[in-house]
Amino acid sequence: MVEQRFSRILRSTWIAAGILTIVLPMMWIVIASLKSPADLTDATKIAFTPTGENWANALASGLPAALLRSLIVGVVVVAVSLVVGVPGAYALARYGVGGTPLGFVLLMAQVLPPAVLVFPFLRLSHLLKTNGTIAALIPAHISFVLPVVVWLLIGFFASVPVSIEEQARIDGKSRLGAFWSVVIPHVRPGIGAACVFGFSLSWNDMFYSLILVPGSAQTLPLTIAGFNTFRGIELGTMSAAILLASIPMLIATFFIQKHLVQGLGGNGVKY
Amino acid sequence: MATTASRTIAALAAVGALTLSLAGCVTGSQDRSSSTPTAGGSTGEIAKDHSGTVRIIMESVNDTDVIESLIPEFNKEYPNISIDIDSMVYDQMRDKIVASVQSPEPAYDLFATDNPWFTDFSQAGFLQPLDERIAATPDFDNADYFQPLLDITTVDGVQYGVPYMNYAVGYVYRKDVFADAGLEVPGTLDELVTTVKSLTKDGKYGIALQPQRGYKIMEEWVGWLFAAGGSVYDAEGNASLDTPEAHKALEAYIDVFNNAAPKNSLNWMFDDAQRSVASGDSASLISYNFALPLLNEEGGISGDRAGEFTLVPMIGGKSVLGSWSWSIPTNSGDPDAAWAFVSWLGSKDVDAQRVIAGGSPVRESTLEREDVLTEGYGADYLNAIKAMLANSDQISHGANSEEMIQAVGTELNEAVAGTKSVDQALKDANAAIIRIQGE
Amino acid sequence: MTSDKKFGVLMITPLVVVLIAAVGYPVATSLNLSVTDFTLTSKNVQNIGMENYAAAFSDTPFWEALWTTTAYTVLAVSIELILGIAIAAALVKQKRWVNITRSVLISPMFIAPIAVGLMFRFLLNGQSGAISKTLAALGIDHDFFGSGNVLYTLVGMDVWQWTPFMVLLMLAGMLSMPTAPLEAARVDGAGALYRLRRVLLPMLRPTITVALVLRALDAMRVFEYVFATTKGGPGTESVTVQYFIYQRGIQFFDLGYASALAFIVLAIVAVIVLVFARRVVRQHG
Repeated sequence: MVEQRFSRILRSTWIAAGILTIVLPMMWIVIASLKSPADLTDATKIAFTPTGENWANALASGLPAALLRSLIVGVVVVAVSLVVGVPGAYALARYGVGGTPLGFVLLMAQVLPPAVLVFPFLRLSHLLKTNGTIAALIPAHISFVLPVVVWLLIGFFASVPVSIEEQARIDGKSRLGAFWSVVIPHVRPGIGAACVFGFSLSWNDMFYSLILVPGSAQTLPLTIAGFNTFRGIELGTMSAAILLASIPMLIATFFIQKHLVQGLGGNGVKY
Repeated sequence: MATTASRTIAALAAVGALTLSLAGCVTGSQDRSSSTPTAGGSTGEIAKDHSGTVRIIMESVNDTDVIESLIPEFNKEYPNISIDIDSMVYDQMRDKIVASVQSPEPAYDLFATDNPWFTDFSQAGFLQPLDERIAATPDFDNADYFQPLLDITTVDGVQYGVPYMNYAVGYVYRKDVFADAGLEVPGTLDELVTTVKSLTKDGKYGIALQPQRGYKIMEEWVGWLFAAGGSVYDAEGNASLDTPEAHKALEAYIDVFNNAAPKNSLNWMFDDAQRSVASGDSASLISYNFALPLLNEEGGISGDRAGEFTLVPMIGGKSVLGSWSWSIPTNSGDPDAAWAFVSWLGSKDVDAQRVIAGGSPVRESTLEREDVLTEGYGADYLNAIKAMLANSDQISHGANSEEMIQAVGTELNEAVAGTKSVDQALKDANAAIIRIQGE
Repeated sequence: MTSDKKFGVLMITPLVVVLIAAVGYPVATSLNLSVTDFTLTSKNVQNIGMENYAAAFSDTPFWEALWTTTAYTVLAVSIELILGIAIAAALVKQKRWVNITRSVLISPMFIAPIAVGLMFRFLLNGQSGAISKTLAALGIDHDFFGSGNVLYTLVGMDVWQWTPFMVLLMLAGMLSMPTAPLEAARVDGAGALYRLRRVLLPMLRPTITVALVLRALDAMRVFEYVFATTKGGPGTESVTVQYFIYQRGIQFFDLGYASALAFIVLAIVAVIVLVFARRVVRQHG
């Protein structure tokens, strides 16, 4: 009994320490976003008159538009990745089409630095006439989102027993029908998890936005970096911007974490 | 296992072959048309009914806001030209400019160009020569720009830019702190060292330095080099960093960093140092002249210390000079409209209006005008800038300036960090200049 | 071809087409650039064969950057794995406030790395940073961005942001494991350490391998933290491969050479993956 209680306290302390490590820096950002420029020069000052000016500045700075652009790019990139990735990963896992080499290429696709790929992508955007718009970002983001999505999906499909598919075939379903109505429902949580990962990769990318689109079409991470200016210190506005950029993701995390854990579990991530 | 390995290799070979053949088609379009100046006929005075759009890339600083506020005035003269300013932080500008000139359809029609970029950009054929336009524009008094600013925009005798902002680096200090301590502004490097040391006590520091690797320390330390009587290049244009003057300057800098600058500030850059003086922790800093209005702004970052700061030229008299100039890219979508804007903004009356609104002075005549001296940031500030411009030099000349500045700035930072001796760092810095920029 | 195979090929074709467009095209272009003297400012481009690759071998700063990146990756990923398992093990048994705890604990991975970098740049600032100031009040004087410390500081940021990734994967792995073996070991009176080493870790191994591979490849791409905080300093201590290639290829215009560097990195990583993670790759095909 005593030992159990001791280990429970130890466990709670450990979890609390983890939470504090994550929450304290974020709290500082929240506080900084409410400080006036003069108060911000004293980072540990707790007693101050809160101001809404930073939030107003951040909202007026084009940040909401950048947020929308990031959202659009992320959704399109994830959608494309799913449309081609789901059947592709299934074919790899179930029929071994493409085999080891394709699996390897998928993995290696994540190694090359964006710095050397970005000018080819710039040229591609001119070939596709997407230059100057956020559409220019989509192939670039697909290049690192799609491999991760497919890689995760292969594991999920591999964990679906072949027998349930065969049963569906015996029941008169076509291959495509069996895939659609029997296999997909099994991996749905996994697909959800892959979506979240893929989306966060696209949402967080700064580098491609730096080169591929003009400032008027930039995405969120670059807008945040844009408060680090030679104009002076826009620490407060930047803090508000970081929060504005993170809050949607944090709220989403609250609602999807259960599904994430489920999706990645259930023999999902395995080799 | 063997089959897997060989299959992998076979597949990789296939992918390789495919990619190479793909690349063949891709790189066919690599020969860049070196220059297609669309400007023909009258290139100077642009017709008032000219219609077009000028997309401008600029840094998000105060001067850009000032220029943006003048656009409605411009549109009274040129109602059909729309000006579209894309302002961003310095770190992002050069990458975006390079991307724009690499593109068949440019993202920008007019660049704000920083001084170290001129040689590379003009030699690469990114920029249009402006001499013809300047000569053909009536009342455009080119010679009235401060000569050091014109020198920056001129490569091999051809002018590629029109200055609109200088960011000469000076010494900014707290008048009240100096007065309380009974100190005068130091006149020499030695005096600077003793002055800032004597101000370092009770948790306060004499000076906030910006020794971050690369650009920052280079921009700051070269001022010390000038103060020690040295220079980056000798009279023949050869690297001259392995000299007694450079040794003295770097040793003084390290001495001050260790004994009169905030602790743990090895990675500091502009905003860290500025925050340190704004908060009252440090009594002075070496910074761009436009730092002064930022520090003295009522209700700004300095709180009740606003108004206590003042600016003088770099100790020793010679300042590091940087500047932004307008230049028209070779692939500009509408070079005439771009020139209409540049020449309008550069005309003497508009220039004075710009400086009164808080813009940076670039014309000599502007600083002679009564209204400018009384209505703007004040005569003291403007006269300090005038003095700085009169005796100043850039941190790098010629091609590959970016790489040279990064390399030398890394060596200097290593000496300050103590991971290299002063001797070795200066030798290596000197060798780096020769390697990167030639003899 | 069997009809099964035909169906498989049909299903995979869109993926291959998109991969060729989005990965093949840029990779092919930069592979081609890597054998030229292409710079962003050059007007004539010449094929120079393997010269860039040859030059890379004597480019000491490049190999130093590669070494820095390796040290960074190994350090960050191992700390993240250990912390990830330890936190997940605690979370598995947690009964109250499950959802909110888990959401908070995985949240950092959804914040943009550039924002994390900038946040820590200000928190850890030598004088005015909240963390430095708090430490100084406790009598601890530490320069987070000083010589000898900077790599650990960057690793710390990585750990802050990406331990959640490990927590998430480990938690998922643990929850999907059959509980019988652990119970059996407990009933047999096996100690905690024994249960961890002999039962939990072996069962978790597949998850660990996948997590390590994905995380390590991602950690090797570290760029934003350096861009936001040190720009590679002091000296060249925090220059990572990504930052080095960015400077060389874009800031110094030397894109042909930078491309060659990228493919050298690719080749090295490919060999490492083939040697150490062969099974992962094979099972994924």
